[in-house]
This record gives sequence, C-alpha cells and structure tokens, in this order.
Amino acid sequence: MDLKIDKHISGQFSKELEGMLSHVLDMGGIVEQQIAQALEAIGQFDSKLAQKIIKEDEKINAYEVLIDEECARVIAKRQPAAIDLRIILAIAKIIADLERIGDETCRMVRAAQEHFNKTERQFLVDLDHMGQQVLQMFKAVLDALARMDSEAAYDVYKLDKKIDKAYEGITRQLMTYMMEDPRSIPKIMDVMWATRSLERIGDRCQNISEHVIYLIKGKDVRHAPTERIEAILAAKK
Amino acid sequence: MISVSPDIAKIKNVVAPADLTAEQTALQMNDLSLFYGDKQALYNIDMKIPKGKVTAFIGPSGCGKSTLLRCINRMNDLVDICRVEGEILLEGKNIYDKDVDVASLRQNVGMVFQRPNPFPKSIYENVVYGLRIQGINDKRRLDEVVETSLRKAALWDEVKDRLHDSAFGLSGGQQQRLVIARAIAIEPKVLLLDEPTSALDPISTLTIEELINDLKETYTVVIVTHNMQQAARVSNYAAFMFMGELVEYTDTNQLFTAPEKKKTEDYITGRYG
Repeated sequence: MDLKIDKHISGQFSKELEGMLSHVLDMGGIVEQQIAQALEAIGQFDSKLAQKIIKEDEKINAYEVLIDEECARVIAKRQPAAIDLRIILAIAKIIADLERIGDETCRMVRAAQEHFNKTERQFLVDLDHMGQQVLQMFKAVLDALARMDSEAAYDVYKLDKKIDKAYEGITRQLMTYMMEDPRSIPKIMDVMWATRSLERIGDRCQNISEHVIYLIKGKDVRHAPTERIEAILAAKK
Repeated sequence: MISVSPDIAKIKNVVAPADLTAEQTALQMNDLSLFYGDKQALYNIDMKIPKGKVTAFIGPSGCGKSTLLRCINRMNDLVDICRVEGEILLEGKNIYDKDVDVASLRQNVGMVFQRPNPFPKSIYENVVYGLRIQGINDKRRLDEVVETSLRKAALWDEVKDRLHDSAFGLSGGQQQRLVIARAIAIEPKVLLLDEPTSALDPISTLTIEELINDLKETYTVVIVTHNMQQAARVSNYAAFMFMGELVEYTDTNQLFTAPEKKKTEDYITGRYG
C-alpha cells in the first residue's frame, strides 16, 4: 500500500501529522547522536563528553512531552480514524521508547567515568563492537519509520536476536575476567551495566519496529510468532 | 481467525458478519441490485445484518446507502422507474415475494427519517397512530403503549404532563424521539434510521445516540449516517459503500482502526484518493 499521510481534504490536518512525525524524527536524531557519542566517550574515557551526554538528555525528555501534547491535541481536534489514528498511537509509543533509550544511554556513560589501564582495555573491545551494531539497528529503525517501510522495520526486528547473542557472549567473557582478577570487579561491573544498557536499547529498537509495522499494516505483531508476522507483511493492502 | 489467545478472543467477542448464523441474522441480502430506469444504483449486494445489533451504512453522497436502507421496507416501491433484483430475507422470507403485504412488512420494519415528521396531532395521538390504524381503540391498552414507547424513546419524563398538547410544541430533538416512539409503538423487528440526527443540535444528537444504544436490546437497528464519528460511536457493524457497491463490511472497531480496503481508509480518514 502506498502510505501517504498527506492528501487530507483538510490540509491543516496533514500538516499537523507531518509536523508531529518530523518532531519524532528530530527526537530520534538526537538519540542517535547520543548513542554514538556515548560509545565514543566510553572508548576514549572522556568524562567531559559523558557529562555533556547526560545534560543533553533533557532535550530528549522535552521532545517527549512536546510530542505527547501534540498527540493529545490532534486526537481532541480531529477524532482521527484508521491510518491517522494508528500514526498517533504508534508515535505515542515510539517516543516513550526513544525517551527510555535516552535514559539507557545516560546509564551507559557511567563506564566512561572510570580509567582503564592497558590490560583492562580489553574489556571494552567487544562492548564497542556490540555498540556499533546497536547504533546501526537504531539508525535502521528510524529510517524504516521515516520511509514508512514495514519490510525494513522487520529486518530491524530480526536483528535483536544478534544483539542478544552478543550480550550473552560479552557477559560470559566479563565473568571470566572477574574470576581471574577479583580486584577488577568494580570496573568490570561498569562495563557489564553498559552492556546491559545496550541490550535494552536493542529491545527498544525492536519495540519501535513493531510499532512501525502496526502503523503500516494495521496489525499488532507484538508477541506474535514469526510465521504470523511474515504472513502479515506479505499481505497486500 | 488470527492466533490470539482464547481469553483475548473471548474479551473481544466479535463475530465477522459473514460468519453470522441464521439465528443471529435479522436480514440477509442476496445478490441485490437496484435500477432507476437504465441506471443501476446498487450492484449485487450480499450482506447479513445481525439481530439485536446496530449496523451503520456509511459512504459519500449518492453511494446508494439510503437506497439500500429504503429497500429494506420497500420504500422504493413508491418510485415508478425503480426495479429491484435479488432478494432480502427477513426471518427467512423474501420481502420482495409477490405474496408479501407491504403494509404488514412496514409494521415489522419501522423507519425514521432525517427531519422529524410528527403528525399535526397531540403527542399521545402521534404515538398511538399505528395502533389506531390497526383498529385498536382500547384506552387502557393505548395508555400503556404510550407510556412504554415514550419511556423506551427516553421522552416520557419530558412530556408526561402534556401528552395532549400538540406535537409541534416539542423541540427538534424531542420531535425526533417522538417519531422513534411512534415507530416502536407497533413493535417492529427492525428499525431503520435514515440520518436521524442530521437536523439536530449536538446535545439532542447525543440523546438520540444513547437511545439507539438502548433500542438495540429490543430491536435490530440499521442506521444511515453522514457523520462518521456517529457511525463509530453507535454501531456494532459498519458497511462502507461506494458507487452502489458494498466495499467493506465488518465490525465497527475493525473498520475504524484498520480497514482492509484502501478506499475505505481514504474515506474515513477524509482523504481524496
């Protein structure tokens, strides 16, 4: 189906929806930058950058409040139905996920407050690799939303398994380090929390991909078995 | 059926129109087409209208929704050039069969129009009009019918002290409820409402909508409305019609959140296709 949010007889309504969607994408842009900078801060032990990231989170929170207000206003004024209603419901849920991703990012950068010596830096190698994967996943889901592409959203949906695997691998490895040298436990715990946050961000990206599929296809795919999701995606409108 | 857990399916408790059993069906249209002279106004309509529910017909002007509604009590018989093909079954009997008496059909299928049309008589006489025509004049019986009908139409408390005043003294919303009371006084099985609130103010409209919700306990209600939000609010099932064809017919929640057809989506979201 060619999904268009414009073409309303009421041009003002189209403008309101477009405005909301572009705010969501702006908000997503900030979150994306936050994740990228958080990875950099951790890799470079840059505590200044970490502080900046924590400060910047306020912007994300403000966006959430703003877009929530816009959703309420459109519902009150326009009594949206069908695709319009789904856009608003999906947006309301997506921004909640984006806000939580912002919070996870702030939690992550705590690892950047520590200083890791040369031997300890090995703890961070895999973390950065997993972080890049999560960042790609986040970019992809934002892109799927911007293009209203349910297939692309499903590709993101499937990526979450990879992230979960990476998370398991890193956890196992960090446990080994802890057993080898108990003195390193405090630092490793920070890395562990950062890994955990990345894993949660992956989950949130998967949630967003579910909302995007709902928005486009009109079917709720949460907790659905793979075959059902694929059948929904294959069904033409 | 989609794979939702049985508990959720129970909570939703929706039967697709096509899956209605004979017992749950009030009206069934089979391959119904209608022509005004050479011009075809309805194209091969197949649908089952559920018993004891509210079904709404929506669609742009001239899509045939009123025409279809009028078919159900044969109002189109009054139009000379009109020809109907196919059948409409009311409790299994085709209402277009030759042996069907139109007057008794209309006793079973009442109709309310866009503008309230009370007769130039008292409130009381308006309600009992149908019964008097049937030759019922027992005062006790008529009094009873007036009270129950007006109560069902949510008008009793407002008019009980002035039953013998002229019906024209009532407000538009009250007149419309009076007309509904008149229609249900003869205890029809089906009640057809053709834009029943388009001439009313928002508060009267809400009163009538509330009334429609109560009426479905006793009657099968079919409503034509231009107001899509009204269809969404009052109906259990909704049919979208376009250029004489039935485009989509399903339960109202589905139709207004995720319609199957693009035409339906464009219409209910106010887009030009």
